[in-house]
Amino acid sequence: MATIEVLSEVIGSVWKIEKSEGDTVAEGEQIMILESMKMEIPVEAPSAGTLVEIKVVPEESVDEDQVLCLIEN
Amino acid sequence: MSFEDMLSDLKAREDKALAMGGPARLAKREAAGLLNARSRIDTFIDEGSWVETGLLAVSSMVAEDRDKTPADGKVAGFAKCDGRMVGVVANDFTTKGASSSATNMKKIGHVKRVATERGFPLVFFGESSGARMPDNMGAKGMGANLGHDPQQYVRNRASPWASAVLGQCYGSSAWYTCLADFAVIRKGAIMAVASPGLASFAIGQEVEAEDLGGWKLHSEVSGLVDRVAETDEEAIEVIKTFLSYMPSNCNELPPEAPVPAGSDDNPERILDILPESRKRGYDVRKIINCIADLDSFFEFKPRFGRTVVTGLARLDGKTVGFIASNPMGKAGALDVAGCEKATRFTVMCDSFNIPLVLLVDTPGFVIGIEGEKQKAPGKIMNFMQALQMCTVPKLSVITRKTYGQAYLNMGGGRNSDDVAAWPTAEISFMDPTYATEIVTWGQDASEERKQEIMDQMQKDNSAYGLAEIYGVQAVISPADTRRYLIQQLEIHQLRLSGGIGEHRMCFWPTTF
Repeated sequence: MATIEVLSEVIGSVWKIEKSEGDTVAEGEQIMILESMKMEIPVEAPSAGTLVEIKVVPEESVDEDQVLCLIEN
Repeated sequence: MSFEDMLSDLKAREDKALAMGGPARLAKREAAGLLNARSRIDTFIDEGSWVETGLLAVSSMVAEDRDKTPADGKVAGFAKCDGRMVGVVANDFTTKGASSSATNMKKIGHVKRVATERGFPLVFFGESSGARMPDNMGAKGMGANLGHDPQQYVRNRASPWASAVLGQCYGSSAWYTCLADFAVIRKGAIMAVASPGLASFAIGQEVEAEDLGGWKLHSEVSGLVDRVAETDEEAIEVIKTFLSYMPSNCNELPPEAPVPAGSDDNPERILDILPESRKRGYDVRKIINCIADLDSFFEFKPRFGRTVVTGLARLDGKTVGFIASNPMGKAGALDVAGCEKATRFTVMCDSFNIPLVLLVDTPGFVIGIEGEKQKAPGKIMNFMQALQMCTVPKLSVITRKTYGQAYLNMGGGRNSDDVAAWPTAEISFMDPTYATEIVTWGQDASEERKQEIMDQMQKDNSAYGLAEIYGVQAVISPADTRRYLIQQLEIHQLRLSGGIGEHRMCFWPTTF
Protein backbone atom coordinates (compact mmCIF):
# COMPACT_ATOMS: atom_id res chain seq x y z
CA MET A 1 0.00 0.00 0.00
CA ALA A 2 1.51 3.28 -1.07
CA THR A 3 0.23 6.77 -0.44
CA ILE A 4 0.65 9.11 -3.37
CA GLU A 5 0.55 12.88 -2.99
CA VAL A 6 -1.21 14.64 -5.84
CA LEU A 7 0.50 17.99 -6.27
CA SER A 8 -0.68 21.22 -7.83
CA GLU A 9 1.17 22.10 -10.99
CA VAL A 10 0.17 25.73 -10.78
CA ILE A 11 -0.24 28.76 -8.54
CA GLY A 12 -3.96 29.43 -8.49
CA SER A 13 -7.10 28.50 -6.66
CA VAL A 14 -9.47 25.56 -6.33
CA TRP A 15 -12.45 25.94 -8.61
CA LYS A 16 -14.39 22.65 -8.55
CA ILE A 17 -13.86 19.45 -6.61
CA GLU A 18 -15.39 16.59 -8.54
CA LYS A 19 -14.67 13.61 -6.31
CA SER A 20 -15.23 12.80 -2.64
CA GLU A 21 -13.02 11.24 -0.01
CA GLY A 22 -13.32 7.47 -0.22
CA ASP A 23 -13.99 7.41 -3.99
CA THR A 24 -12.10 4.96 -6.16
CA VAL A 25 -10.29 6.72 -8.99
CA ALA A 26 -8.75 5.39 -12.18
CA GLU A 27 -5.42 6.56 -13.52
CA GLY A 28 -6.01 9.82 -15.38
CA GLU A 29 -9.43 10.40 -13.87
CA GLN A 30 -10.22 14.02 -13.10
CA ILE A 31 -10.35 14.78 -9.35
CA MET A 32 -10.71 18.55 -9.33
CA ILE A 33 -10.24 21.64 -11.46
CA LEU A 34 -8.02 24.54 -10.42
CA GLU A 35 -8.11 28.03 -11.83
CA SER A 36 -4.89 29.78 -12.78
CA MET A 37 -4.39 32.84 -14.98
CA LYS A 38 -8.01 32.56 -16.14
CA MET A 39 -7.41 28.97 -17.30
CA GLU A 40 -9.17 25.90 -15.96
CA ILE A 41 -6.47 23.45 -14.95
CA PRO A 42 -7.63 19.84 -14.54
CA VAL A 43 -6.04 17.74 -11.79
CA GLU A 44 -5.93 14.08 -12.70
CA ALA A 45 -5.12 11.00 -10.64
CA PRO A 46 -1.50 9.97 -11.37
CA SER A 47 -2.46 6.37 -10.69
CA ALA A 48 -5.48 4.30 -9.77
CA GLY A 49 -6.48 3.95 -6.12
CA THR A 50 -8.67 5.26 -3.36
CA LEU A 51 -8.93 8.98 -2.76
CA VAL A 52 -8.26 8.90 0.97
CA GLU A 53 -7.96 12.61 1.68
CA ILE A 54 -8.79 15.89 -0.05
CA LYS A 55 -6.70 18.62 1.50
CA VAL A 56 -8.23 21.69 -0.10
CA VAL A 57 -11.65 23.35 -0.40
CA PRO A 58 -13.22 25.38 -3.21
CA GLU A 59 -11.88 28.91 -3.57
CA GLU A 60 -8.79 28.08 -1.54
CA SER A 61 -5.54 29.50 -2.97
CA VAL A 62 -2.95 26.91 -3.88
CA ASP A 63 0.77 27.07 -4.58
CA GLU A 64 2.85 25.16 -7.10
CA ASP A 65 3.68 21.71 -5.64
CA GLN A 66 1.13 22.06 -2.83
CA VAL A 67 -0.42 18.72 -1.88
CA LEU A 68 -4.03 18.72 -3.05
CA CYS A 69 -5.08 15.21 -2.12
CA LEU A 70 -3.80 11.75 -1.23
CA ILE A 71 -4.40 8.52 -3.11
CA GLU A 72 -3.74 5.09 -1.66
CA ASN A 73 -3.12 2.13 -3.92
CA MET B 1 65.99 -6.71 -12.79
CA SER B 2 64.64 -9.68 -14.73
CA PHE B 3 61.75 -9.24 -17.13
CA GLU B 4 59.63 -11.27 -14.77
CA ASP B 5 60.36 -8.88 -11.94
CA MET B 6 59.66 -5.85 -14.12
CA LEU B 7 56.31 -7.22 -15.21
CA SER B 8 55.40 -8.13 -11.64
CA ASP B 9 56.28 -4.64 -10.58
CA LEU B 10 54.10 -3.20 -13.35
CA LYS B 11 51.19 -5.40 -12.30
CA ALA B 12 51.61 -4.40 -8.68
CA ARG B 13 51.51 -0.73 -9.57
CA GLU B 14 48.42 -1.26 -11.72
CA ASP B 15 46.66 -3.20 -8.98
CA LYS B 16 47.44 -0.47 -6.49
CA ALA B 17 45.99 2.15 -8.80
CA LEU B 18 42.89 0.05 -9.45
CA ALA B 19 42.29 -0.31 -5.72
CA MET B 20 41.45 3.41 -5.51
CA GLY B 21 41.21 4.66 -1.91
CA GLY B 22 41.31 1.14 -0.46
CA PRO B 23 38.79 -1.52 0.61
CA ALA B 24 37.54 0.26 3.74
CA ARG B 25 36.52 3.43 1.94
CA LEU B 26 35.04 1.51 -0.97
CA ALA B 27 33.02 -0.69 1.40
CA LYS B 28 31.63 2.37 3.15
CA ARG B 29 30.37 3.75 -0.14
CA GLU B 30 28.84 0.45 -1.10
CA ALA B 31 27.04 0.26 2.23
CA ALA B 32 25.61 3.72 1.54
CA GLY B 33 24.27 2.53 -1.84
CA LEU B 34 26.78 4.58 -3.80
CA LEU B 35 28.81 3.38 -6.75
CA ASN B 36 32.48 4.28 -6.97
CA ALA B 37 34.39 5.78 -9.89
CA ARG B 38 35.18 2.44 -11.52
CA SER B 39 31.82 0.82 -10.89
CA ARG B 40 30.16 3.89 -12.41
CA ILE B 41 32.26 3.39 -15.52
CA ASP B 42 31.45 -0.35 -15.57
CA THR B 43 27.74 0.41 -15.31
CA PHE B 44 27.92 2.87 -18.19
CA ILE B 45 30.14 1.22 -20.79
CA ASP B 46 29.92 -1.88 -22.97
CA GLU B 47 31.63 -4.73 -21.17
CA GLY B 48 35.30 -5.15 -22.00
CA SER B 49 35.57 -1.86 -23.92
CA TRP B 50 37.45 0.23 -21.33
CA VAL B 51 40.78 1.75 -22.40
CA GLU B 52 42.19 3.73 -19.50
CA THR B 53 44.51 6.67 -19.86
CA GLY B 54 46.83 7.70 -17.04
CA LEU B 55 46.24 4.74 -14.71
CA LEU B 56 49.66 5.23 -13.12
CA ALA B 57 49.41 9.00 -12.77
CA VAL B 58 49.86 10.25 -9.20
CA SER B 59 50.23 13.57 -7.43
CA SER B 60 53.06 15.58 -8.93
CA MET B 61 52.83 18.36 -6.35
CA VAL B 62 53.43 16.83 -2.93
CA ALA B 63 56.03 14.05 -2.52
CA GLU B 64 54.21 12.39 0.40
CA ASP B 65 51.03 12.19 -1.70
CA ARG B 66 52.54 10.10 -4.47
CA ASP B 67 51.72 6.95 -2.57
CA LYS B 68 48.23 8.08 -1.65
CA THR B 69 46.90 9.25 -5.00
CA PRO B 70 46.10 6.28 -7.26
CA ALA B 71 45.30 7.58 -10.74
CA ASP B 72 45.61 10.98 -9.02
CA GLY B 73 41.98 10.69 -7.96
CA LYS B 74 40.31 10.93 -11.35
CA VAL B 75 39.79 7.89 -13.60
CA ALA B 76 39.87 8.79 -17.28
CA GLY B 77 39.70 6.92 -20.53
CA PHE B 78 37.83 5.80 -23.58
CA ALA B 79 35.22 3.09 -24.14
CA LYS B 80 32.15 2.12 -26.11
CA CYS B 81 28.65 2.91 -24.94
CA ASP B 82 25.97 1.05 -26.89
CA GLY B 83 28.59 0.39 -29.55
CA ARG B 84 29.77 4.00 -29.95
CA MET B 85 33.04 5.56 -28.77
CA VAL B 86 32.86 7.83 -25.72
CA GLY B 87 35.36 9.62 -23.49
CA VAL B 88 34.80 9.31 -19.75
CA VAL B 89 36.09 11.15 -16.69
CA ALA B 90 35.01 9.57 -13.40
CA ASN B 91 35.97 11.20 -10.13
CA ASP B 92 37.36 8.90 -7.41
CA PHE B 93 36.10 10.48 -4.21
CA THR B 94 37.93 7.87 -2.10
CA THR B 95 41.22 9.46 -3.20
CA LYS B 96 41.63 12.87 -1.61
CA GLY B 97 38.01 13.73 -2.40
CA ALA B 98 38.84 13.53 -6.12
CA SER B 99 40.32 16.98 -5.68
CA SER B 100 41.81 18.64 -8.73
CA SER B 101 45.52 19.02 -9.13
CA ALA B 102 48.16 19.24 -11.84
CA THR B 103 48.27 15.61 -13.01
CA ASN B 104 44.59 14.84 -13.03
CA MET B 105 43.75 18.12 -14.77
CA LYS B 106 46.18 17.12 -17.51
CA LYS B 107 44.27 13.83 -17.83
CA ILE B 108 40.93 15.61 -18.15
CA GLY B 109 42.48 17.96 -20.70
CA HIS B 110 43.69 15.03 -22.74
CA VAL B 111 40.38 13.14 -22.79
CA LYS B 112 38.57 16.37 -23.58
CA ARG B 113 40.91 17.22 -26.45
CA VAL B 114 40.73 13.73 -27.96
CA ALA B 115 36.92 13.54 -27.71
CA THR B 116 36.60 16.99 -29.27
CA GLU B 117 39.15 16.49 -32.07
CA ARG B 118 38.22 12.88 -32.87
CA GLY B 119 34.48 13.54 -32.67
CA PHE B 120 32.83 11.52 -29.90
CA PRO B 121 30.82 12.33 -26.76
CA LEU B 122 32.38 13.16 -23.41
CA VAL B 123 30.77 12.02 -20.17
CA PHE B 124 31.65 13.24 -16.67
CA PHE B 125 30.73 11.39 -13.48
CA GLY B 126 31.01 14.32 -11.12
CA GLU B 127 31.97 14.06 -7.47
CA SER B 128 34.85 16.27 -6.42
CA SER B 129 35.77 18.42 -3.48
CA GLY B 130 37.29 21.05 -5.77
CA ALA B 131 40.86 22.22 -5.89
CA ARG B 132 43.35 20.15 -3.90
CA MET B 133 44.99 21.82 -0.91
CA PRO B 134 47.81 22.68 -0.45
CA ASP B 135 48.76 22.03 -4.09
CA ASN B 136 47.08 25.15 -5.42
CA MET B 137 48.07 27.49 -2.59
CA GLY B 138 50.51 30.34 -2.98
CA ALA B 139 51.78 31.99 -6.11
CA LYS B 140 53.81 28.95 -7.17
CA GLY B 141 50.90 26.60 -6.55
CA MET B 142 48.60 28.76 -8.64
CA GLY B 143 51.18 29.36 -11.32
CA ALA B 144 52.13 25.69 -11.59
CA ASN B 145 48.62 24.31 -11.62
CA LEU B 146 46.15 26.69 -13.17
CA GLY B 147 45.61 28.46 -16.43
CA HIS B 148 47.71 26.32 -18.74
CA ASP B 149 44.93 25.72 -21.18
CA PRO B 150 43.54 28.94 -22.63
CA GLN B 151 40.69 26.91 -24.13
CA GLN B 152 39.89 24.94 -21.00
CA TYR B 153 36.35 26.28 -20.59
CA VAL B 154 35.45 27.04 -24.19
CA ARG B 155 32.43 24.98 -25.11
CA ASN B 156 32.37 24.60 -28.87
CA ARG B 157 29.78 21.78 -29.12
CA ALA B 158 31.90 19.64 -31.44
CA SER B 159 30.49 16.57 -29.73
CA PRO B 160 27.79 16.06 -27.08
CA TRP B 161 28.78 16.33 -23.42
CA ALA B 162 26.82 14.83 -20.54
CA SER B 163 27.48 15.15 -16.84
CA ALA B 164 26.10 13.43 -13.75
CA VAL B 165 26.23 15.18 -10.36
CA LEU B 166 26.76 12.12 -8.18
CA GLY B 167 28.04 13.54 -4.92
CA GLN B 168 29.55 16.75 -3.69
CA CYS B 169 30.51 18.71 -6.79
CA TYR B 170 32.62 21.79 -6.31
CA GLY B 171 35.15 23.23 -8.72
CA SER B 172 35.79 21.22 -11.89
CA SER B 173 32.82 18.86 -11.41
CA ALA B 174 30.53 21.89 -11.20
CA TRP B 175 32.18 23.68 -14.13
CA TYR B 176 31.92 20.71 -16.49
CA THR B 177 28.32 20.09 -15.47
CA CYS B 178 27.45 23.65 -16.47
CA LEU B 179 29.31 23.26 -19.77
CA ALA B 180 27.58 19.98 -20.63
CA ASP B 181 24.65 19.65 -23.03
CA PHE B 182 22.83 17.39 -20.60
CA ALA B 183 23.12 17.15 -16.83
CA VAL B 184 21.49 14.85 -14.29
CA ILE B 185 21.69 15.15 -10.49
CA ARG B 186 21.22 12.28 -8.07
CA LYS B 187 19.12 13.16 -5.02
CA GLY B 188 21.45 13.91 -2.12
CA ALA B 189 24.22 15.16 -4.40
CA ILE B 190 25.24 18.81 -4.16
CA MET B 191 26.64 21.14 -6.79
CA ALA B 192 27.91 24.61 -5.91
CA VAL B 193 30.79 27.01 -6.38
CA ALA B 194 32.12 26.03 -2.96
CA SER B 195 31.13 23.70 -0.13
CA PRO B 196 28.53 24.56 2.53
CA GLY B 197 31.33 24.46 5.11
CA LEU B 198 33.34 27.06 3.27
CA ALA B 199 30.23 29.15 2.54
CA SER B 200 29.22 29.06 6.22
CA PHE B 201 32.75 29.97 7.25
CA ALA B 202 33.01 32.78 4.73
CA ILE B 203 29.66 34.44 5.42
CA GLY B 204 29.37 33.63 9.10
CA GLN B 205 26.02 31.86 8.92
CA GLU B 206 24.98 28.24 8.65
CA VAL B 207 24.32 27.22 5.08
CA GLU B 208 22.45 23.99 4.49
CA ALA B 209 23.90 21.86 1.70
CA GLU B 210 20.53 21.23 0.03
CA ASP B 211 19.74 24.95 0.03
CA LEU B 212 23.13 25.75 -1.45
CA GLY B 213 23.14 23.24 -4.26
CA GLY B 214 20.71 20.34 -3.88
CA TRP B 215 18.51 18.65 -6.45
CA LYS B 216 15.49 20.83 -5.83
CA LEU B 217 17.48 24.03 -6.27
CA HIS B 218 19.11 22.92 -9.48
CA SER B 219 16.11 21.24 -11.08
CA GLU B 220 13.53 23.89 -10.13
CA VAL B 221 15.24 27.21 -9.46
CA SER B 222 18.62 27.47 -11.18
CA GLY B 223 17.67 25.10 -14.00
CA LEU B 224 21.30 24.03 -14.24
CA VAL B 225 20.36 20.34 -14.45
CA ASP B 226 18.02 18.62 -16.86
CA ARG B 227 16.90 15.58 -14.86
CA VAL B 228 16.85 14.19 -11.35
CA ALA B 229 17.68 10.57 -10.47
CA GLU B 230 17.15 8.52 -7.32
CA THR B 231 20.33 6.43 -7.66
CA ASP B 232 23.70 6.44 -9.40
CA GLU B 233 22.46 3.63 -11.67
CA GLU B 234 19.41 5.64 -12.71
CA ALA B 235 21.53 8.72 -13.44
CA ILE B 236 23.87 6.67 -15.61
CA GLU B 237 20.94 5.09 -17.46
CA VAL B 238 19.43 8.50 -18.19
CA ILE B 239 22.74 9.67 -19.68
CA LYS B 240 22.74 6.62 -21.93
CA THR B 241 19.21 7.47 -23.01
CA PHE B 242 20.25 11.06 -23.81
CA LEU B 243 23.18 9.85 -25.90
CA SER B 244 20.94 7.46 -27.86
CA TYR B 245 19.23 10.49 -29.45
CA MET B 246 22.43 12.33 -30.27
CA PRO B 247 25.00 12.03 -33.05
CA SER B 248 28.55 11.22 -31.97
CA ASN B 249 29.67 14.63 -33.21
CA CYS B 250 28.32 17.73 -34.92
CA ASN B 251 29.26 16.46 -38.37
CA GLU B 252 26.98 13.44 -38.15
CA LEU B 253 23.24 12.95 -38.22
CA PRO B 254 21.64 11.56 -35.07
CA PRO B 255 21.25 7.76 -35.11
CA GLU B 256 17.95 6.45 -36.42
CA ALA B 257 15.82 4.05 -34.40
CA PRO B 258 13.13 1.62 -35.52
CA VAL B 259 9.59 3.02 -35.37
CA PRO B 260 7.75 1.20 -32.55
CA ALA B 261 4.61 -0.66 -33.56
CA GLY B 262 1.53 1.35 -32.73
CA SER B 263 3.10 4.76 -33.37
CA ASP B 264 0.64 5.43 -36.21
CA ASP B 265 -2.41 3.98 -34.49
CA ASN B 266 -5.28 6.16 -33.34
CA PRO B 267 -4.16 9.63 -34.39
CA GLU B 268 -7.62 10.85 -33.35
CA ARG B 269 -6.82 10.30 -29.70
CA ILE B 270 -5.23 13.73 -29.82
CA LEU B 271 -8.79 15.08 -29.94
CA ASP B 272 -9.58 13.34 -26.65
CA ILE B 273 -6.77 15.24 -24.98
CA LEU B 274 -7.37 18.67 -26.47
CA PRO B 275 -10.24 20.24 -24.48
CA GLU B 276 -13.15 21.64 -26.43
CA SER B 277 -13.22 24.69 -24.17
CA ARG B 278 -10.50 27.21 -24.99
CA LYS B 279 -10.27 28.05 -21.28
CA ARG B 280 -9.42 24.50 -20.25
CA GLY B 281 -5.78 23.61 -19.73
CA TYR B 282 -4.18 20.34 -20.75
CA ASP B 283 -0.82 18.66 -20.36
CA VAL B 284 0.99 19.24 -23.65
CA ARG B 285 3.19 16.19 -23.02
CA LYS B 286 0.14 14.06 -23.73
CA ILE B 287 -0.21 15.80 -27.09
CA ILE B 288 3.49 15.25 -27.82
CA ASN B 289 3.05 11.57 -26.99
CA CYS B 290 0.27 11.34 -29.59
CA ILE B 291 2.49 12.89 -32.26
CA ALA B 292 5.92 11.38 -31.62
CA ASP B 293 6.95 7.76 -32.12
CA LEU B 294 5.53 5.67 -29.28
CA ASP B 295 7.31 6.25 -25.94
CA SER B 296 10.06 8.28 -27.59
CA PHE B 297 9.63 11.55 -25.70
CA PHE B 298 12.58 12.32 -23.42
CA GLU B 299 11.97 15.49 -21.44
CA PHE B 300 14.58 18.11 -20.46
CA LYS B 301 14.10 20.22 -17.32
CA PRO B 302 10.54 19.08 -16.46
CA ARG B 303 10.60 21.05 -13.20
CA PHE B 304 12.08 24.31 -14.53
CA GLY B 305 10.41 26.89 -16.73
CA ARG B 306 7.23 24.87 -16.72
CA THR B 307 5.41 27.20 -19.09
CA VAL B 308 7.35 25.48 -21.87
CA VAL B 309 8.02 21.77 -22.34
CA THR B 310 11.28 20.82 -24.08
CA GLY B 311 12.56 17.40 -24.97
CA LEU B 312 13.96 15.08 -27.57
CA ALA B 313 11.74 12.59 -29.35
CA ARG B 314 11.61 10.68 -32.61
CA LEU B 315 9.40 11.10 -35.63
CA ASP B 316 9.53 8.19 -38.02
CA GLY B 317 12.66 6.99 -36.24
CA LYS B 318 14.56 10.28 -36.54
CA THR B 319 15.49 12.52 -33.61
CA VAL B 320 13.63 15.82 -33.30
CA GLY B 321 13.49 18.44 -30.56
CA PHE B 322 10.10 19.54 -29.25
CA ILE B 323 9.51 23.01 -27.80
CA ALA B 324 5.88 23.18 -26.71
CA SER B 325 3.79 25.75 -24.84
CA ASN B 326 2.40 24.18 -21.70
CA PRO B 327 -1.02 25.57 -20.77
CA MET B 328 -0.72 23.94 -17.33
CA GLY B 329 2.03 26.46 -16.54
CA LYS B 330 0.87 30.08 -16.28
CA ALA B 331 -1.67 29.39 -19.04
CA GLY B 332 1.26 28.82 -21.40
CA ALA B 333 2.52 32.38 -21.05
CA LEU B 334 6.26 32.50 -21.66
CA ASP B 335 8.25 33.56 -18.61
CA VAL B 336 11.99 34.16 -18.15
CA ALA B 337 12.73 30.57 -17.12
CA GLY B 338 10.73 29.27 -20.09
CA CYS B 339 12.67 31.53 -22.47
CA GLU B 340 16.01 30.40 -21.01
CA LYS B 341 15.03 26.75 -21.27
CA ALA B 342 13.79 27.10 -24.85
CA THR B 343 16.89 29.07 -25.88
CA ARG B 344 19.32 26.53 -24.44
CA PHE B 345 17.42 23.66 -26.03
CA THR B 346 17.34 25.42 -29.42
CA VAL B 347 21.11 25.92 -29.30
CA MET B 348 21.70 22.25 -28.48
CA CYS B 349 19.43 20.91 -31.22
CA ASP B 350 20.87 23.28 -33.82
CA SER B 351 24.42 22.36 -32.86
CA PHE B 352 23.75 18.64 -33.37
CA ASN B 353 21.62 18.64 -36.51
CA ILE B 354 18.33 17.99 -34.75
CA PRO B 355 15.23 19.59 -36.35
CA LEU B 356 12.89 21.55 -34.10
CA VAL B 357 9.14 21.15 -33.74
CA LEU B 358 7.30 23.95 -31.93
CA LEU B 359 3.76 23.46 -30.63
CA VAL B 360 2.24 26.87 -29.97
CA ASP B 361 -0.49 27.66 -27.43
CA THR B 362 0.56 30.83 -25.65
CA PRO B 363 -1.26 34.04 -24.68
CA GLY B 364 2.05 35.95 -24.77
CA PHE B 365 4.72 36.69 -22.21
CA VAL B 366 4.30 36.88 -18.46
CA ILE B 367 4.47 40.54 -17.55
CA GLY B 368 5.25 42.21 -14.25
CA ILE B 369 8.01 43.28 -11.91
CA GLU B 370 9.39 39.83 -11.15
CA GLY B 371 10.09 39.17 -14.81
CA GLU B 372 11.62 42.60 -15.35
CA LYS B 373 14.00 42.00 -12.41
CA GLN B 374 15.15 38.89 -14.28
CA LYS B 375 15.77 40.85 -17.49
CA ALA B 376 12.68 39.56 -19.34
CA PRO B 377 13.06 41.69 -22.50
CA GLY B 378 16.67 40.54 -22.83
CA LYS B 379 15.73 36.88 -22.40
CA ILE B 380 13.03 37.22 -25.03
CA MET B 381 15.61 38.60 -27.41
CA ASN B 382 18.06 35.80 -26.60
CA PHE B 383 15.37 33.30 -27.53
CA MET B 384 14.58 35.22 -30.69
CA GLN B 385 18.22 35.40 -31.70
CA ALA B 386 18.73 31.68 -31.16
CA LEU B 387 15.64 30.81 -33.16
CA GLN B 388 16.67 33.07 -36.04
CA MET B 389 20.24 31.76 -36.10
CA CYS B 390 19.08 28.15 -36.48
CA THR B 391 20.02 26.36 -39.64
CA VAL B 392 18.25 23.10 -38.76
CA PRO B 393 14.68 22.77 -40.04
CA LYS B 394 12.08 24.41 -37.79
CA LEU B 395 8.42 23.45 -37.96
CA SER B 396 5.66 25.20 -36.00
CA VAL B 397 2.14 24.02 -35.34
CA ILE B 398 -0.22 26.63 -33.88
CA THR B 399 -2.59 24.56 -31.77
CA ARG B 400 -4.56 27.24 -29.96
CA LYS B 401 -3.65 30.78 -28.91
CA THR B 402 -0.70 32.69 -30.23
CA TYR B 403 -0.38 36.37 -29.44
CA GLY B 404 2.10 39.13 -30.13
CA GLN B 405 5.84 38.80 -29.93
CA ALA B 406 5.41 35.32 -28.45
CA TYR B 407 3.86 34.31 -31.80
CA LEU B 408 7.23 35.15 -33.37
CA ASN B 409 9.23 33.47 -30.60
CA MET B 410 7.36 30.26 -31.25
CA GLY B 411 8.14 30.35 -34.96
CA GLY B 412 5.38 32.53 -36.36
CA GLY B 413 5.81 34.18 -39.73
CA ARG B 414 9.07 33.22 -41.35
CA ASN B 415 10.66 32.28 -38.03
CA SER B 416 9.91 28.67 -38.80
CA ASP B 417 10.45 27.01 -42.15
CA ASP B 418 6.86 25.82 -42.23
CA VAL B 419 3.92 26.83 -40.06
CA ALA B 420 0.63 24.98 -39.85
CA ALA B 421 -2.38 25.79 -37.70
CA TRP B 422 -5.18 23.71 -36.22
CA PRO B 423 -8.72 24.97 -36.72
CA THR B 424 -8.65 25.81 -33.00
CA ALA B 425 -5.90 28.40 -33.53
CA GLU B 426 -6.38 32.03 -32.51
CA ILE B 427 -3.91 34.60 -33.72
CA SER B 428 -3.71 38.26 -32.85
CA PHE B 429 -1.46 40.85 -31.29
CA MET B 430 -3.09 40.74 -27.88
CA ASP B 431 -6.30 39.87 -26.12
CA PRO B 432 -9.00 42.29 -27.44
CA THR B 433 -9.86 43.36 -23.86
CA TYR B 434 -6.33 44.63 -23.27
CA ALA B 435 -6.13 46.19 -26.73
CA THR B 436 -9.30 48.18 -25.96
CA GLU B 437 -7.86 49.41 -22.67
CA ILE B 438 -4.75 50.61 -24.45
CA VAL B 439 -6.50 52.66 -27.12
CA THR B 440 -8.90 54.25 -24.60
CA TRP B 441 -6.18 54.98 -22.04
CA GLY B 442 -6.54 58.35 -20.40
CA GLN B 443 -9.85 59.01 -22.15
CA ASP B 444 -13.16 59.05 -20.42
CA ALA B 445 -14.63 56.40 -22.73
CA SER B 446 -18.10 55.07 -22.00
CA GLU B 447 -18.84 51.36 -21.71
CA GLU B 448 -20.69 51.49 -25.03
CA ARG B 449 -17.73 53.13 -26.74
CA LYS B 450 -15.40 50.54 -25.26
CA GLN B 451 -17.63 47.71 -26.45
CA GLU B 452 -17.71 49.23 -29.94
CA ILE B 453 -13.92 49.38 -30.01
CA MET B 454 -13.61 45.85 -28.61
CA ASP B 455 -15.85 44.57 -31.40
CA GLN B 456 -13.48 46.18 -33.91
CA MET B 457 -10.49 44.65 -32.13
CA GLN B 458 -12.11 41.24 -32.21
CA LYS B 459 -11.18 40.98 -35.86
CA ASP B 460 -11.03 37.67 -37.53
CA ASN B 461 -8.34 35.96 -35.48
CA SER B 462 -8.88 32.49 -36.88
CA ALA B 463 -6.40 30.23 -38.63
CA TYR B 464 -8.23 30.90 -41.90
CA GLY B 465 -7.43 34.61 -41.73
CA LEU B 466 -3.76 33.70 -41.61
CA ALA B 467 -4.13 30.99 -44.25
CA GLU B 468 -5.78 33.40 -46.70
CA ILE B 469 -2.70 35.65 -46.75
CA TYR B 470 -0.31 32.68 -46.69
CA GLY B 471 0.70 33.53 -43.15
CA VAL B 472 0.49 29.81 -42.45
CA GLN B 473 1.22 27.19 -45.07
CA ALA B 474 -1.64 24.89 -44.06
CA VAL B 475 -4.58 24.43 -41.73
CA ILE B 476 -4.61 20.82 -40.57
CA SER B 477 -6.73 18.56 -38.44
CA PRO B 478 -5.02 17.78 -35.12
CA ALA B 479 -5.17 14.07 -36.03
CA ASP B 480 -3.07 14.82 -39.13
CA THR B 481 -0.24 16.46 -37.18
CA ARG B 482 2.09 13.45 -37.01
CA ARG B 483 1.72 12.76 -40.72
CA TYR B 484 2.16 16.46 -41.59
CA LEU B 485 5.35 16.77 -39.52
CA ILE B 486 6.89 13.61 -40.96
CA GLN B 487 6.18 14.88 -44.48
CA GLN B 488 7.60 18.34 -43.74
CA LEU B 489 10.72 16.89 -42.14
CA GLU B 490 11.35 14.93 -45.32
CA ILE B 491 10.82 18.03 -47.47
CA HIS B 492 13.08 20.18 -45.27
CA GLN B 493 16.00 17.75 -45.01
CA LEU B 494 19.25 19.63 -45.51
CA ARG B 495 20.13 17.74 -48.68
CA LEU B 496 22.76 20.22 -49.86
CA SER B 497 24.90 19.56 -46.79
CA GLY B 498 24.06 15.92 -46.11
CA GLY B 499 21.78 16.91 -43.25
CA ILE B 500 24.44 18.91 -41.42
CA GLY B 501 23.60 22.41 -40.24
CA GLU B 502 25.91 25.43 -40.18
CA HIS B 503 26.24 25.37 -36.37
CA ARG B 504 26.26 29.16 -36.00
CA MET B 505 25.58 28.78 -32.28
CA CYS B 506 28.19 26.18 -31.44
CA PHE B 507 29.96 28.73 -29.19
CA TRP B 508 26.79 30.05 -27.52
CA PRO B 509 27.33 30.44 -23.74
CA THR B 510 26.07 27.49 -21.77
CA THR B 511 24.33 29.61 -19.13
CA PHE B 512 23.00 33.11 -19.67
